[in-house]
Amino acid sequence: MSQTPPGKDEQANGEQGTALSAGPVVELTNAAFAYEGVVALDHVSLRAYAGEAVALIGPNGSGKSTLLRGLLGLLPLADGSVKVFGHQRRPGITEGIGYLPQQESTEPNFPISLRQVVMMGRYRRIGFWRFARAIDRLAVNEALEMTGLTARASARFGALSGGQQQRGLLARALAAKPRLLLLDEPFNGLDQPNRAALLATLRELKMRGVTIVVTTHDLDLARDVCDKVLLLAGTQVAFGATNEVLTLENLQAAFGDVQVEIDEHRVVIPGHDH
Amino acid sequence: MITLDLLLHFWTMPFMVRAVIVLVTLGITAGIVGVFVNLRGFEFLTDGLTHAVFPGIAAGVAFAGSGGLFWGAAIAAAAATVFLSLLARRGVSSDAAVAVVLVAMFSVGVLIVSRSDDAAGQLEQLLFGRLFTVSLTEVVVTAIISVLAIATVLLTVRAQVMTAFDRDAARAAGYRVTLVDLSLNVAIALVVVSASIAVGNLLVIAFLIVPGALARVWARRLTSLFAIALSFAVLAGLAGLAGAFTISVGLDIPIPPGAAIAAVFVASYLLALLLFVIVRRPKAGGMG
Repeated sequence: MSQTPPGKDEQANGEQGTALSAGPVVELTNAAFAYEGVVALDHVSLRAYAGEAVALIGPNGSGKSTLLRGLLGLLPLADGSVKVFGHQRRPGITEGIGYLPQQESTEPNFPISLRQVVMMGRYRRIGFWRFARAIDRLAVNEALEMTGLTARASARFGALSGGQQQRGLLARALAAKPRLLLLDEPFNGLDQPNRAALLATLRELKMRGVTIVVTTHDLDLARDVCDKVLLLAGTQVAFGATNEVLTLENLQAAFGDVQVEIDEHRVVIPGHDH
Repeated sequence: MITLDLLLHFWTMPFMVRAVIVLVTLGITAGIVGVFVNLRGFEFLTDGLTHAVFPGIAAGVAFAGSGGLFWGAAIAAAAATVFLSLLARRGVSSDAAVAVVLVAMFSVGVLIVSRSDDAAGQLEQLLFGRLFTVSLTEVVVTAIISVLAIATVLLTVRAQVMTAFDRDAARAAGYRVTLVDLSLNVAIALVVVSASIAVGNLLVIAFLIVPGALARVWARRLTSLFAIALSFAVLAGLAGLAGAFTISVGLDIPIPPGAAIAAVFVASYLLALLLFVIVRRPKAGGMG
């Protein structure tokens, strides 16, 4: 009975553990990923530390989602190395990682409340036999509060607006108390208030030491919240500090013949603004 | 009147007691497993598995009498489950795979039955069950297999719910979704096997699909989904049994109880659908 409940440690790790390790949270060295033997993305090298946000930017099919799946250990590594939390990536090990898939992946008419959806973020910790414990419910409540959805917790997930659903799925990822958060196009289809709310949440997470890797078409978002940018086009075009990477030359190299305009404050790529 | 009197004193007739026990057991089991069939969209696969079990029970009965039914069903169900899972894993479209297995296995079953002396009678028993003549041993075997089926889905309940809701996120959370699929296939196969004697090979489909589908029409939460499916499967099963008993004993027109139960299931589903269309409230936001 003297054993410390595992949940307590996990929670402490989730909120403070990142400050303890100085090494990169994510480290890719010349990594390549393949779908059924066909290489989809290669020559990727990046480092991201605690509290940093990295934007993955590139045209459709450039390998953004592939990279996220690779970081989750769902795709085989064809070359190079991928380290997360200092360890070589292995499939099935997801401790400390939160993932927000593209919204279309959910079943819209599912008879489930928002609170139950957020609780899914705790499933792996709850395990097969046990019921959810107080620490799980606490994590769910915190995640709901952080995404501004406490008042909607009992609503049916399918009855929420698109933006609220997106924030709800983020809350599910946060309920796992991640130290690394992987977001796949989180701003797609969001209206301005939801977008602002999501941005505020991401900033808060960075302050807490969470590392964020986010795929986006939205260069404004990258400038707003990301410290680094990885520009992709089936291979790595550029990686580095946001301002250094988002140059006209780099964007043209990544987006090919799509016209790129840059003014003093914004980088706009017509046709890639959704 | 005599029939009603008899029906109200069913416990004085051992064959009716056994039938009631088997139906309540199957109702609970199929209600629970059926919810997952619905949530996961496994209806067609359920259909395929059911048909694939048919040659197993036909061969079991042909070679070892009625005692061979469960074993034949179990072997065929295991083979079909593994086969379908392998096909799905190799990227063959699961609907195409199920359809091929369904037709191939069912025709094998019919061929086996056609070799017996009383082919028509045996075919009816295998397809529609023989609820009124279930033995005590068969009641016990049905109960044991049902417990296994329920245990299989309850052990994987969170993985099933998450995979049904968001397959990508379930994989990302570390669930091996192929194993999650396989465990649901196993649970479905167990229900098909346990229901083979009582309601027959064809009518088990109604047990596995209708309660989940009916509950899905009305339920807005997982808890109500299970509650509606489970209570419906039990009550409709008993209503079908009462109907079959009344017609068979009271009117002296023998009908297979499995068919009466399936008829109650389907009629109730249509009624629930109709009621929903009539009384459903306007969608949230529609009223401003």
